[in-house]
Amino acid sequence: MEERKDHLWKVAQEVEERIDEMEKAGAAPAGIDVGTSKVVAARRRAKGIESASQLNAFIPVPYSRFTETILGQNEISYFREGSELVIFGSATEKFANMFNADVRRPMADGMVNPKEKMALPVLEAIIQTLLPKAKSQGEILAFSVPAAPTGKETELTYHEATLRHHFESMGYKATAINEGLAVIFSELEDNNFTGIGLSCGGGMCNGTLAFLSIPSIMFSIAKGGDYIDQAVGSVVGESATRVKVIKEEGLDLSRAPRDKFEKALHIYYDDLVESLVEALRRAISRAEKMPRSDRPLPIVIAGGSAKPRGFKELFERALKGRSMPIEIAGVRLAGDPLTATARGALIAAMYEK
Amino acid sequence: MGGSAKDRAGRPSAAAAEEYVAEVEAVGREIQDPVAKLRFLRSSLRDYPRLAPVDGVPSGRARRILYRWASLESLRGLSAREPQAAGGPGARRKVLVSRAAAALTLLLAAGRLVMGLAALVVVFAVGSAAYRHARPNADPVMASVPGSASVGPVALPPRAGLAPASVWLVEMGAGFELYSNGLRIDNTYEVGGEPRRFRVFDRTSGLRGEMQSRPVGILFHTSESDVWPLEAAYNETLRDSTQRLLRYVRRNHLYNYVVDRFGRVYRVVEEETKANHAGHSVWTRGDEVYLSLNSAFLGVSFETRWEGGHALPITQAQFLAGRNLSDYLRARWAIAADMCVAHGLTSVNPKKHLIGHHVDWARGFPFEAFGLPDQYSRPAPAVVVFGFGYDEDFLKVMGEPWPGVREAERALSEEAARAGRSLEDLRRERQQLYDRWLGEQSQAEEATASGRAEPAPAGPAGG
Repeated sequence: MEERKDHLWKVAQEVEERIDEMEKAGAAPAGIDVGTSKVVAARRRAKGIESASQLNAFIPVPYSRFTETILGQNEISYFREGSELVIFGSATEKFANMFNADVRRPMADGMVNPKEKMALPVLEAIIQTLLPKAKSQGEILAFSVPAAPTGKETELTYHEATLRHHFESMGYKATAINEGLAVIFSELEDNNFTGIGLSCGGGMCNGTLAFLSIPSIMFSIAKGGDYIDQAVGSVVGESATRVKVIKEEGLDLSRAPRDKFEKALHIYYDDLVESLVEALRRAISRAEKMPRSDRPLPIVIAGGSAKPRGFKELFERALKGRSMPIEIAGVRLAGDPLTATARGALIAAMYEK
Repeated sequence: MGGSAKDRAGRPSAAAAEEYVAEVEAVGREIQDPVAKLRFLRSSLRDYPRLAPVDGVPSGRARRILYRWASLESLRGLSAREPQAAGGPGARRKVLVSRAAAALTLLLAAGRLVMGLAALVVVFAVGSAAYRHARPNADPVMASVPGSASVGPVALPPRAGLAPASVWLVEMGAGFELYSNGLRIDNTYEVGGEPRRFRVFDRTSGLRGEMQSRPVGILFHTSESDVWPLEAAYNETLRDSTQRLLRYVRRNHLYNYVVDRFGRVYRVVEEETKANHAGHSVWTRGDEVYLSLNSAFLGVSFETRWEGGHALPITQAQFLAGRNLSDYLRARWAIAADMCVAHGLTSVNPKKHLIGHHVDWARGFPFEAFGLPDQYSRPAPAVVVFGFGYDEDFLKVMGEPWPGVREAERALSEEAARAGRSLEDLRRERQQLYDRWLGEQSQAEEATASGRAEPAPAGPAGG
C-alpha cells in the first residue's frame, strides 16, 4: 500500500514537472491529441518539441477530508463533485487497480461519450492540466479529430464543435486536424508528407493517405486498444483496466503466447490488425480521386495500441495477405507512437500561425 | 517529353503536372524545417494553375528548369516571411558563401558548447557541494536507544528551566526567524493570503461589532495527511512527504503554520492574513460569538493523523515546538488562553445543524501542557448558543461526545425548562438564529467585497 502511494506520487510528479516546463514555454502554438485513452499536448521549445500526456480517464471515490488531503499532498489531479472526489488523469489507473474497479472514460470510440454525464467536466479538467489558458487571445491551437466512422458523422460534428468551443473559451484560435494526417505531418516529413499515416488509439484506429500533405483518403474503424482490453477481459475474467495494465507491461506479439491471457491478446490483436488492413484496402479501392503516383507509398503507424513488440510485423503479415491497389514502400512505427499525433497537430498549428 | 503537354482546353496535362510535382518535391526535400516545408508544398500546389504557360514550352528540359525556378522563387517568397526557411535552396547561387558561413557558425557554436559544458560541470560541482553541505546525507544519526524508535505515548515535559520574560525575535536570517523561547520558524514557504476582516456578534444584542483585522484566537488542527513511521529507514520518505504537504498547504492557503514530525515550524500563510483552515465553525468568549473562524483565528496544523485521539498523535518534537509556537502567537497577538482551541471542538455542519463536522483534536489535545484551559470541559458553544446536535456518524467516530457537549446539553435543557418550552422548540429557535447570523455575515462579506453597505443585524440570541 505504501509503495503504491509512492508510485502514485511519482507518476503525478513526472507529469507535473513536464507540464510546468510546457507552461514556461509561454505563448506559442500548441498541438493537442484528444484521444479516447490519452490526451497528449505538444509545444515547441528552444530545445525541441516538448510533450506531456494525461490518461483520459477518471474514477470517483467517496469524499472524505483524509482522502482529499492525501490526493492534494500527492499532487494527484482531482476535483470535488458533491459527495465524491473525481480523480482524473494519470493516477486514475493506479486507483482503479487498488479498488479493483474499471476506470470511466469521458470519451468512447474516439469521440465525447454521450452516455457519460461526467464526460465534459472531466475532459475539460484533463485538458486544463496539460494546457494553460492562452496568454494572449487568438493563440493558435490544433487539436486532433478522428475520421467519422460510417453513420457517426453527426456525432463527429458535435465532438469537434464541443472541443473547439472549449479551446476557444481558453483563449485559443482552434483548428481541427485529422488524426491520420497529423501522423503524416510528424513522421513523413522526409517523404514530403506523402504516404499513409495510421493512428491506432484506444477507441479507434484512423488512417489517412496524403500526397504532398494534401489528404486524399481518410477512414477509421471503431476498434482500438479498448476493444482488445474489453474482449480479452471478458474471455479471461479480468477487468479491462487490469488487462490494459498487463498489456502495457510488456506484451510481445512476435513471441508465441505463453498462457491463455496472452493467447487472447494475440487473437484480438490479430483481429484488430486484420480489420485495419482490410479497411485500408477498401478505402483505397473505393477512392475516386487518387493522386497519380508511380512511387510506392510508405506506411507509418502511431498510437498507443501500436506499441507492443511485434505489432509492425503483424501488420506487415496482414498486408502481404491482401492485394493492395497501390504499392507499399514499407511499414514503420512512429519514433514515439504516443506523441506522434500531438506533434503533428503542433506542426499544423505552426503552419496556421 | 519533348512536346507540349497541354490538353485541348489549355489546362496543363497530367504529364506536365508530374513534371512540376517532381521539381517541387526535389526542392521540398532540401527544406529542413517541417513547417516551412509544409508551407512550400501547399503554396506550390496552389500556384500550379498559374504556371500553365510553362506547359507550352516545347523542351522538356526547359520546362523542368522553369518549374524548378518557379519553385525556388516560391520558396524565396516564403523565406522572406519565414526566417526558418531561409536556409533552404533558394539561396543556391550563394551556396559557397553560405557553406563557408555555415562552417564558421558551426565552429563558433561548437566552441560555445564546450565552454558551456565546462561551465555547467563547474556549476554542478559547486552546487552539489553546497547541497551536501546544506542538507546532510540521508542516513540519520541514531540518537535514540535502538528498538525504541517507534512513537508511544509521550510523557508531557513540564515547563522546567528558566523561561524568558517575554517572547521576542532574537535573530532573523535567510528563510528563518529565531525567537527567545527557542522557537525557530522556517518561512521559506510563506505566502500572503486575503486580509483578515471580521465582526463579532454580541450574544445578547445580536449586534455586530466593529470590523477587526487582528487574529484573536488559535485553532489547532491535524493535517490528516500521509504519516510514515518515525524510523530511520523512512527518513527520505518522511522528508519528502512533508515537502509535498507544505506545497499543498501553500497552494491552497490552508494553514498559517505547519509543525512537521521533526518539530520544524513552517509559516505558510502570513499571520496577518487569513488561511482557509476553519470552514464553518463556532466559538465564543463571554457574550462574543465568532462564526466561521478563518479570519478571527490563526490556523496551526500538526503533521499527523488524529485517529480518535486516544493516544497523543504527535511526536515529542512536535509537542515542544507546538507549545513554543502557541506561546509566541499568544504573546505577539495578545490572544487570551480561552481562545486557543482545537478545530474539532468548533467545526459544525451548517445545513444539518450538527457539531463535529471535522473532528481533528476533538479529543486528546494537551491543553494543560500547553498552559491552556481544558476546552473539552467547557460547554460547547455551538450546542448551548445555537442548539446544535450530533448524529450517529459522530458517535461512531467519537464513541461519546466530549464532556463540554454534555454540559451544554444540560444547560440548554435547564434553560428550556425555565422558559416552559420544549427542548426541541428551543433548539429550533437557536438553529434559526444561527442561520440568520450566518446569512447576515455572508451578505456583509459580499457587500464589503463589492463596496456596498452592510445589511442591518438580525437580533439577539435570546435566553
